[in-house]
Parts: sequence; C-alpha cells; structure tokens
Amino acid sequence: MRKLAWAALLLVVVGALVIGVTDRDQASDADRAHRLGETIMCPACSGESVTNSQAPVAKAIRQRIDALIDEGKSDQEIRDTLVDSFGERIVLNPPREGLAGLVWVLPVAALVVAVAGLVVVFRRWRVAPSTEVSDADVDAAARARQAEGR
Amino acid sequence: MTKRPALVASIVIAVVLALLVAVLATRDPAVNRVTKSPLLGRSAPAIEGTTIAGAKFSLADLEGQWVLVNFLASWCTPCKREHDDLLQFANVHAATKDASVVSVVFDDDADDVRAFFAERGGDWPVVLDDQGAAAVAWGVPKVPETFLIAPNGEVVLKVSSEITFEFLQEQLELLRSGA
Repeated sequence: MRKLAWAALLLVVVGALVIGVTDRDQASDADRAHRLGETIMCPACSGESVTNSQAPVAKAIRQRIDALIDEGKSDQEIRDTLVDSFGERIVLNPPREGLAGLVWVLPVAALVVAVAGLVVVFRRWRVAPSTEVSDADVDAAARARQAEGR
Repeated sequence: MTKRPALVASIVIAVVLALLVAVLATRDPAVNRVTKSPLLGRSAPAIEGTTIAGAKFSLADLEGQWVLVNFLASWCTPCKREHDDLLQFANVHAATKDASVVSVVFDDDADDVRAFFAERGGDWPVVLDDQGAAAVAWGVPKVPETFLIAPNGEVVLKVSSEITFEFLQEQLELLRSGA
C-alpha cells in the first residue's frame, strides 16, 4: 500500500513536469513575449519588469521583443540582444556563472539539506518498542511457566 | 548622566543633515555624467529612418568623421537646457567639417519636435524612431543621452545627462589625442 502511494506521487510529479514543459512549447508568441518581458527589467524604472511597466523604454523593449520573436530568435538570443545594448543589469534573472550563480545553487543546496534533515528527524520520531516490563507481562510469563510445568 | 533630550535630538538631527549634505555633495553630477555602456569600444548600432524634414537618413553615411548622437524629446527639460550647447557644437564643427550632430527622437510626436527645432534652431538630421528601435539598440532608457562615435565607427563616449559645449570639446580633444 505504501509503495503504491509513493508510485502515485511519483506519477503525479512526473506528469506535472511533462505537462509544464509541453505547455511551454505550445505557448503562443504573445504568451512567450509576455513571459520573456517578465524576465527583463525596465531600465528606467525601479524593480519593474518591461511587461509591467508603462515607461516609454519598456514599451519600446516590448516591441523589440515582439520583432525578435517574429524573426525566429530564441529566448536566450533575445536576452543576449538586450544585454548587448543595456548590459547584464537588464536581465532580472541573475547569470548562472560566477558568484551570482550561487543564487541558483544555494536554494537547491538548502532544499537538499532540509529534506535530508527531515528524513533524519522523521526516522528518530519512529516509536521505539517499549522495553519496560509491565505487571501484566510478569503475570503472563508466570502463567506460561505454570502451564509448561504441568 | 544628566538627561538632555533636546540636546540629544539636536545632535541626531545635525548628524542626519550632515549625512544628507555629504550624500548630495558626493553624488554624480547632474551635467556631463559619463556612464558605462556595453556599446563602448564597439561599432555603433545602425540608425536608419526618416528625419523630421522627411529625408532618408543612415548613420553609416557619416562614417569617417566624429559623430555626436543625441537622443532627445521636446518634453524633456534637460534636453531644452542643453540645446544651445549642442547648437554651438554643431556650428563650430560645421565650419571645420570634422564632426556632425545627429538627434534621435525618443517617445515624442514629430510635430512637437519640429516645433522644438523651429523655436530653438539646429539644422542637423533629427531622426524619427517610431518603434523605439534605435533607443533599444543604443540602450537608452531615458533622455537626454549622448554618444560620441569615432571616425572608425566605434562608440567612444556615453553621457547620461545634460551636456555642455565645453565638456564636449574637451572630450573630443582628449579622444583625438588618444588620451
């Protein structure tokens, strides 16, 4: 029963991942531009993405993203084009290399440590068999000995 | 220790004010603020389009001379303030024929920009950038921003503020001398 529950959980997780990845591939150009715009910072604003900003430059960047999507550029190529003009700071997601890469690594490492910690704690929580002898146990043993002696 | 709340409050306020003055005194200047750009040392992005006078324009046609590319809007107050300096720069170098000025319109109406130049002067090309493609290619978040392009087509200077004629001349001389 327990194995079946784990198998069902695994199925749900894998299924959700597959659906998520497949949906991304099938996203329309407008959805893609919207999603991409959320990862690009409006260079004239404070902490706002170009998708959420109404600043003139944000509007211009959105139009540029649309044009680059029409040209068949990949998300990474579009980001690279904008970085070439505005610099690395325009990308809201930090780079995966160098010291900034720790931003990606640390949460995963923290998750692994947390799960390992939980496993250890849950194992300790398992109810240990009681080793103390109760009066009922003594009586039962006595009765057993008497029965053997008969 | 005697409690003197008024004295303590006065000292705290004085320290805060002193810090405020220090921050204001040490921050970047409001004019001639040279900034970094990924474009520096690279070939200038293309600027192609129609000017407010209706002529076709291509930045590539100006290769071989120093070019000052200025992004502006008629609604921008620093753009109004720096215009006389740009005018002076354009006039001086029109005589020596060693540098040109090009303006690129940033989020503005063509008629408003025509009125701006009619009122303030300036007969250099003013290129319309309807979709903001040039602003994005040049990494311009707001105006005014000014770039200097060397005769080999390389971007050599970016200024993200109002600019003065004297500063432009000084930078041009420095760059010409290879300093």
